This record gives sequence, structure tokens and C-alpha cells, in this order.
Amino acid sequence: MATEVMEVGDYMRDPRKHHFSPYMDNGGTTVAIAGDDFVMVASDLRLSRGFNIFSREQSKIFGLTPKTMLASTGCWADVLTLNKVLQARLTMYSHEHHDVMSTTAVAQLLSTMLYWRRFFPYYVSNILVGLDEEGKGVVYHYDPVGHMEKLTYSAAGASVSQIQPLLDNQIDALNMKNVTPPKMTKELAHQLIHDAFISAAERDINTGDGVIIHTITKEGTSEEKIKLRRD
Amino acid sequence: MPDFSEIFSLQSILNYNGGCVVAMRGKNCVAIACDLRFGVQAQTISTDFERVFEVGPHLYIGLPGLATDTQTVFQRLQFRIKMYEMREGRRVKPRTLMAMVQNLLYERRFGPYFVEPVIAGLHPTTKEPYICALDLIGCECEPEDFVVSGTCSESLYGMCETTWREDMEPDDLFECISQSLVNAFDRDALSGWGAVVHVIEQDKVTTRYLKCRQD
Amino acid sequence: MFLTRSEYDRGVNTFSPEGRLFQVEYAIEAIKLGSTAIGIQTSEGVVLAVEKRITSPLMIPSTIEKIVEIDRHIGCAVSGLVADSRTLVDHARVECANHWFVYNEDMKVESVAQAVSNLAIRFGDSDDDGPAMSRPFGVAMLFAGLDKSGAQLYHMDPSGTFLEFGAKAIGSGSEGAQQSLQESYHKSMTLQEALKIALTVLKQVMEEKVSGSNVEVAAVTPEKGFHRYPQNEVEAIISNL
Repeated sequence: MATEVMEVGDYMRDPRKHHFSPYMDNGGTTVAIAGDDFVMVASDLRLSRGFNIFSREQSKIFGLTPKTMLASTGCWADVLTLNKVLQARLTMYSHEHHDVMSTTAVAQLLSTMLYWRRFFPYYVSNILVGLDEEGKGVVYHYDPVGHMEKLTYSAAGASVSQIQPLLDNQIDALNMKNVTPPKMTKELAHQLIHDAFISAAERDINTGDGVIIHTITKEGTSEEKIKLRRD
Repeated sequence: MPDFSEIFSLQSILNYNGGCVVAMRGKNCVAIACDLRFGVQAQTISTDFERVFEVGPHLYIGLPGLATDTQTVFQRLQFRIKMYEMREGRRVKPRTLMAMVQNLLYERRFGPYFVEPVIAGLHPTTKEPYICALDLIGCECEPEDFVVSGTCSESLYGMCETTWREDMEPDDLFECISQSLVNAFDRDALSGWGAVVHVIEQDKVTTRYLKCRQD
Repeated sequence: MFLTRSEYDRGVNTFSPEGRLFQVEYAIEAIKLGSTAIGIQTSEGVVLAVEKRITSPLMIPSTIEKIVEIDRHIGCAVSGLVADSRTLVDHARVECANHWFVYNEDMKVESVAQAVSNLAIRFGDSDDDGPAMSRPFGVAMLFAGLDKSGAQLYHMDPSGTFLEFGAKAIGSGSEGAQQSLQESYHKSMTLQEALKIALTVLKQVMEEKVSGSNVEVAAVTPEKGFHRYPQNEVEAIISNL
């Protein structure tokens, strides 16, 4: 048998395609809303692959500096690696320049880091939030290869298409006649995030189990967990 | 394995021309709405393509999907409805229409029409509100609240899930369905460019054309 | 100092038994042959002024460039082997541009000095980054700049040592100039005062009579960033000394 196989040279066989699929979609949804003196960022707690749930307690939010946080979803292995590299770069910066990185600097660094992997990207949707030099809340949204956009609110991940139109409507008051966009308060942001996640969990199996909400103000950060449906 | 199903679905023939339909139940009323874009992939061809049709008193059907099948299915359906009405001597009821659509679509089980219909109407005698959505081979779904279909169905789910309330009056229902539709398709490149909303009440049907962003 | 000259001054990275690196010390000596350069830091910005040695009437003075721009917010004055400074200045510029590219912010003056220092002490060795430099750089530099912590002046010598100063003089006249600066410098100085003092001190230590063509003056301010003073403005200040 073995000799038979040996006798058939590679050049006589049909061409064979080898698949290399290094990525995985682990679901997860993140939402961020900025106000004049705060920024709120939330993620669901479900980690999944297809119809399997890996964890019901996995936050997708990472603290970077006292004033900056990163929310990442997509391929979880890439999320962890990207975060590790980013943490290392942050530490190196603070050693080299004797200073904590500003939110704007972290924002640019993340964009640059993602673009360095232009042809083998981190399969990650990022939202970076923080307070800027004036103490104002800011939200940066990224695509996997480093395109960066500065916003006042954003959603990313599995349920982005469910949540983003809702935020457009409720925060920017788009398509509403004689309605001025509301002033963003912590209460309103909290309410919107809560509602958005409940709706997303209702319709998207990649989002659910719970939400964790982080709030950054000049006084510091706080977090809160809310339950979501677990089916 | 990367999940490219979303990308492939962009290639799907169901999304070739773009477009979307949503229907909602209210208190003694229903509403059905659609966008007006007709395109060929990313290129917009016309912006007056209605994909919701009146098929009876207080009875409407929306046919988002491949535009040629939208027209064909509507014509063949009209033929069957007329035959039914002549034979039976009465107008078609919402559930009957649903069964007819099911039958029509399942006949093409292995070479389907690329439409995913949405039906909205009031029962001719009981005036009971009725909404329903079907997939392209005729599997029905009759929920209590709302149904969505078309290229921005995910966005529509997100909007409707948060804005829909039980027992809305016709005016509230109109506002709810309009905001849901317009904000949903504003985040979708394949639908938009205007919208039509039909609010069906016991004694009247109000049809409104919405002004919205043109891009 | 050089009475103890020995074989230990050949290898650039060989310590003498007394613990000295002679080549580095000689390089520092080389600065003392260079033209005088002065930097003064004020709360309104930093002033740089250098002497230009016009060795021949046929020489075109404007081609001497001893104050250069590193970035919009940092300028640099050099003294010693000016050709050596080109490498260091180029390195500083690349570091600033790269910092902007990666972090979208101005590089701190201290960080620029650190980056240049890292290059300056890479003499004598060879590693993956490329061939070694055979000797220490023969220049001293004054980095004048503005960043988050305000206006700053850093001095770096061929040993790679860099320190922050309120006012600093380098080059042949540095000893006298530094003494004069110590007497006249105070923290609440305005930029105009600093300009005047810089030129006064240069006037004291220069062999030639100070004029608009044999000094080079520049400043870094929050409003204009790095900018040179044109000859007529320099002449105006000189006439008021």
C-alpha cells in the first residue's frame, strides 16, 4: 500500500488546494457614548463560536490608562494579542517619555498598529474611549486595518447593525422633524445602552448573557453589570 | 474559519437590487412600509420602485428581493387572486393570501423566486389585524408585533425591537414604522432613497410618501 | 589633563586605568574649538543665537547654518564639527516625524535629546542596526523647544549626557559666556530680554565685531513655533545693545 502511494508522484496528482483559515468569529457587541465630561462604554458578556457559548462572563473592555479604555470584539485570540501588544507599547511609552499616554496618542497608536498588519490583519473591531486633554469624552471607532474615526457615539461587533441605527435616531435625532438632539447625560447614555443591548440580545444569538458598563469621568472610573437573556 | 457569510450574502441574488419592507401591528390597525430604491448592486437605477402592492380591501403585500421576481410574483399572485375571487365570489382574506403565496413559492422549491414577502392587512369581517412574513420558499412566520424583510432586515430588527409598543394608535404606529424604516435603511447602502408607508385602519387606508436623505 | 596621555586613548571604548574614556574627552575638547552658541529659556519661548566665523571675505555668510529646525516645535543650535551634527540632526528629525506618525502628537524636547543621545553613544560598536561609527561625534547641541511642560532648553555633549538648562553657552567662548549668562539670567525674563542678552553675551565673547551677517538668531515660541530672525531684525537688536 505504502509503496503504491510512493509511486504516484506529486506531479501526477490533481492540484490540491490547502485551506488556511486563521480567523474565528467569537461574537460580542460593544457600544460607547461620550458626553461633555464623561464617556460610557459597554460590552455584552457572551463569548461564542457559532452555536456554542464559550463564556457568559467575558467582558470585552480593557482599561489602558486611567482615562482610556478599549472595547474589542471579533476573533478573541486577536483581541487578546492586540491588547497585550498595546499594553506593552503603553508601558514602553511611559518609560521613554515619563508620562501617561493621552487618549489622542493612544488612538493614533492603535490605528498605526492595526495598519502595520495591513496584509494579515487583526480580525478585531475596536472602539477606543476616553477623556481628551480638555476632559471631554471622546469615542474612536476603527476598522480591522486601522481606519480611525472620531465620534460621539458608536457601536461595534456582532449586533452593530441592530444598534447603530437606533443610536443615530436617539442621539443625533436623525430623521426627526422639529426635534433637537438631546444633551447627553449619564442617565440617558445608560438608558440607551441598556435598551440597545436588550434589543440586540433579543434578535442576535451572538449577543447576550449580560452587559458590563464602564463610566469614565475625571473623578475616576466605575462599572456596573446588568443581566441579559441567556438563551 | 472566518465567518464570511455576511459577505457572501451581499453577493446573494436576494440582495442584487436592494430594498426592504417592514410591517407592524397596532391597535385595530396595521402598517406596512417599504423603501423606493431600485438598484443594480451598488448602482442606483431609479428611486420610485414601490415594492408594496394593494391586493385586496385592507390587504397589502410587500415583495422585497430580486426586482424581476418582485414583479413576476406579484403578477402571478394577482392572477391567482382574481381566479379565486371569480370562483369564490368573495374577496381574499389575509390568511388565505398567505396560503396562496406559500403555495406559489413552494411550487418553485428547487428553483425559487428570490423574494421574501411580507403581508399586512385586516380581516374583512372580524377586522383582526394580521401581519406575516415568508421566506423565499414560503415558510411563514406570524408574530404578534412586527415583521421585517430585505437588505437591511438586521437594522430593522434593531429599530423595531426598541421602538415597537403594544396597542399603538394609527398615528403612533405611523411614526414608529416610519422612524424604524428610515433610520434602518439610512445605514444600508442598498436601500433607501424615499419610502412609502400604508397605515391600514378599519375605515380607511392612509398612504404617505416620506422625505428622506438621498444617498 | 593630557599629561597622563597613554595608550588608552586609541580604542574609543577602552577605559583608562583611572576610569576615563579619552576619546570622549577629546571629543568634548573639540567643542571648545567651535564657534560660540547660546540658548536662553524663558516662559515665553526659547532663544538660540550662534556666532558665524567668517574666515574669508569671499565666503558667503548665509551658507553657514548652525541653527536648524528639528520639528515645528523644536530648534537646535550646534557647535563643534558641524558636519557631524548633520547626522544627529537628521536622526532627531526622523524621530520627531515618526513620533508624530505613531502618536499624532509633538515629541517632547527631553525625548528628542534622549533619542539623539542614544545615537551619539553608539560609537565603536557594531550591531544589527548597521556599521559602527568609528569615533564619538565632535559636536555639542542645544535643543530649544516647547512641549506639554512648556519652554525647555537641553544641552547634549559628545558623551551623550544631556541636561536641562535655563541658559547655556557652548563653543570656544562658552566659559566667559556662561559666566555672563549666570549673572544676567532670571526666570521671569521676556523673550525680547533674552534675545538682547544672547546678543550682548555673544558680542562680549566674539573676536569679530558683532553684525547682522556674522550671527544667526532663532527662537521657538508657542505662536510661531521655530522661526529664524531675519538679518534686519538682528541688526535692529544689535543697534540697541
